[in-house]
Amino acid sequence: MFMHLEVYYYILILLTHMKSCCSWSVNNFLMTGPKAYLIYSSSVAAGAQSGIEECKHQFAWDRWNCPERALQLSTHSSLRSANRETAFVHAISSAGVMYTLTRNCSLGDFDNCGCDDTRNGQLGGQGWLWGGCSDNVGFGEAISKQFVDALETGQDARAAMNLHNNEAGRKAVKGTMQRTCKCHGVSGSCTTQTCWLQLPEFREVGNYLKDKYQRALKVDLLRGAGNSAASRGAVAETFSSISRKELVHLEDSPDYCLENKTLGLPGTEGRECVRKGKNLSKWEKRSCKRLCGECGLAVEERKADMVSSCNCKFHWCCAVKCEQCRKTVTKYFCVKKGRTSRRKSIRLRKKH
Amino acid sequence: MAGAIIENMSTKKLVIVGVILLLFQVFSFLVGGLIAPSPTTAVHYLATKCVDVRKHHQKSKWFMPWGPNQCEKIRDFDEAMVKMIEANDIVFAVHIPLPNKEMSPWFQFMLVILQFDIAFKVVNQIEDGAVVTVDVGLAYRDDSVSEWTEMAHSIEQRKLNCNFTTSKTYENEGRYYECDLLPFMEVGSVAHKYYLLNIRLPVSERKRINVGIGEIKDIRLVEIHQNGGFTKVWFAMKTFLTPSILIIMVWYWRRITLMTRPPVLLEKVIFALGISMTFINIPVEWFSVGFNWTWMLLFGDIRQGIFYAMLLSFWIIFCGEHLMDQMERNRFAVYWKQVGPIVFGSFCLFIFDMCERGVQLTNPFYSIWASDVGTELAMAFIIVAGICACLYFLFLCFMVFQVFRNISGKRTSLPAMSKARRLHYEGLIFRFKFLMLVTLACAAMTVIFFIISQVNEGHWHWGEHTVQVNSAFFTGIYGMWNLYVFAIMFLYAPSHKRYGDEQSTGDLGVNSGEDIQLTTTITHVDGPTEIYKMTGKEAQE
Repeated sequence: MFMHLEVYYYILILLTHMKSCCSWSVNNFLMTGPKAYLIYSSSVAAGAQSGIEECKHQFAWDRWNCPERALQLSTHSSLRSANRETAFVHAISSAGVMYTLTRNCSLGDFDNCGCDDTRNGQLGGQGWLWGGCSDNVGFGEAISKQFVDALETGQDARAAMNLHNNEAGRKAVKGTMQRTCKCHGVSGSCTTQTCWLQLPEFREVGNYLKDKYQRALKVDLLRGAGNSAASRGAVAETFSSISRKELVHLEDSPDYCLENKTLGLPGTEGRECVRKGKNLSKWEKRSCKRLCGECGLAVEERKADMVSSCNCKFHWCCAVKCEQCRKTVTKYFCVKKGRTSRRKSIRLRKKH
Repeated sequence: MAGAIIENMSTKKLVIVGVILLLFQVFSFLVGGLIAPSPTTAVHYLATKCVDVRKHHQKSKWFMPWGPNQCEKIRDFDEAMVKMIEANDIVFAVHIPLPNKEMSPWFQFMLVILQFDIAFKVVNQIEDGAVVTVDVGLAYRDDSVSEWTEMAHSIEQRKLNCNFTTSKTYENEGRYYECDLLPFMEVGSVAHKYYLLNIRLPVSERKRINVGIGEIKDIRLVEIHQNGGFTKVWFAMKTFLTPSILIIMVWYWRRITLMTRPPVLLEKVIFALGISMTFINIPVEWFSVGFNWTWMLLFGDIRQGIFYAMLLSFWIIFCGEHLMDQMERNRFAVYWKQVGPIVFGSFCLFIFDMCERGVQLTNPFYSIWASDVGTELAMAFIIVAGICACLYFLFLCFMVFQVFRNISGKRTSLPAMSKARRLHYEGLIFRFKFLMLVTLACAAMTVIFFIISQVNEGHWHWGEHTVQVNSAFFTGIYGMWNLYVFAIMFLYAPSHKRYGDEQSTGDLGVNSGEDIQLTTTITHVDGPTEIYKMTGKEAQE
């Protein structure tokens, strides 16, 4: 069952996830990725990582909470899933890669970002001098496409779906960019005005994609779709008719309430949920019902003593002078029915 | 009947002139739209966080974000926390431009905007009226190996104007505030290839410096410069337009001096309009490619200001000279009420510009909007200038209204007039209406294109071609006002057609002794009359 763990750069993600930033090797990547793009590999890894972190944040109070196993996107096996969640993971990863590449471009990490001389280079040849370079985001998009889409070697419906969702992720970055303008004419008037597109914070992209996830389109292509050329054409046709901004999935999601070892699903038992508190959104307030109640689990209340910092004095960076305060917080967890009577008191230490 | 060329021209010739001018107009739009790139480029920079490892902060050391000799950097401030690095030891470094590129004098100016990414934290929020103090240094070098030379160093304050759009809860910690763009730097010439900005945000608890500004995550800069291609097209246009306007000016003045009478006010104003247009046109910017003249930006503003003031004055005086009432004008002093607001308004804007761009000559980081007093002062200047503009337009509209009222009044009595008077008035009406129409068309074009360029994203795709709307706007409108001035000088130059006839018919008009105002307009007869001599003298005085 676990044979479909293809070693692609998502290995890097896992490695970086373990915070062993310096030990991971790019050897695995070297074998698959285009060699010329080696300089981008760390950005790509960091980008995919930020995508997954965003995924975890977005699905913190959902039954499926973006577990590590979701990252091991396989590419070849016919057993890999093609549900809504897979679609989201693909989209957010490719968005993360694009986002990070764009951002690192502005840092000066790469030699040639934005200036591929295609857009403005038709006259005079020297693109930068004549008409400036294209946006960094175009560069991020192109490199992200080369990296992330290269993982998809198959030509079946699943591959097409993944490519579509990768594209949707990149479109999400573009779609959430904000246009900002600055007037700098005579006496600061608006006779001359320069506008540019600005990357939003990545959370915006996450929210946007979560929204798309809720409204993901299901395409019924798996049944009867062989590998013949005709069906391949049908696949391509179907996907091209769907807006590239929408997420697409082929299968329905499994029941995430239950633990499913074959699919590698942990189930919701033992998950934390939130119940009370001001300023919680409706979605968050219903999390206990969704995670526990509707899955046939009970909610257990656990009181915890937490030491946290308070009355802090901050600088804009790095220096914090705090006092330590102790307070009791109530946490809720999903447990099997019949085990709820016991109230655990655990001590959590929260670092600030 | 003597008069301007436009009156004596046949309709056919007038149409030909119009078509030729229109062709030039279309050409000037096409030059901008098809040849030139977009006028300006915005380049994004994310400041690299360098660590100042030396304990004593010597001034001479510069921090490079990348390349050889790059600084010791940290990716984020969590890393700084772990390494016990203090806020005072962090230097934000930005190298302009990005790797493998170099700046060029063709970029004309460089304008940098500052943006802070400030993360929301429940316990560490931005205080009301928070002010950031930035200690910033700018250095340059012309090759990638030599030492950096300091160009400017300053400690600046900028008001943080941020708001947090989502609810301020623990769940939203880490999200960014939405902050206004902060004007950061403006350099009037780009004479060097590489620039380096080192920004520090010093913290002093005692002096309350940089306290309560939230948790800064990143500093982003947007650098804006004029595109080299646009500069070249612009210069080419100026170089072409200068001699055209100059030639017509010389021709126009020769026409006037050929006459036996001294020039009247309107003729002088038209000539002054030509001079101010030439003043804008003269491509002194060519020097900015070779010399490091930072005042070019300010100089350009002044030139534009003079032209606008001249154009507005011209409209008023033109209306006034075509009022066709019994008032005797032909003196500049008569128009003080209308010209006063123009002069005063332009002066206000000039002072404002001097306060902003003038001070930037010495300190490129200066911004009048950064301090409260400065903001109020700037607003005061702009409001006063705005009031002046409103006042002016009220006067102008009133005058135009008066002219039209007089025209309709004269219309009814036209058939009863003698031939000379009728021709005279018809000429006046035609000239006025023509200019009115052309001016309105030009103004409407300017406004329409301005709106299009503001609303539009900057370029249109038209088949395989990309049309740069903003560039087309600049070259087109610039070409249009040049053609406008050209046309006025050409069409409103005194005509010497049928010179012999004019003398007699003109004499007839004056000798009839019933219309003194005939002599006060430029269409008056060539032979100077007593009244004319008088007014001419006054005008000279």
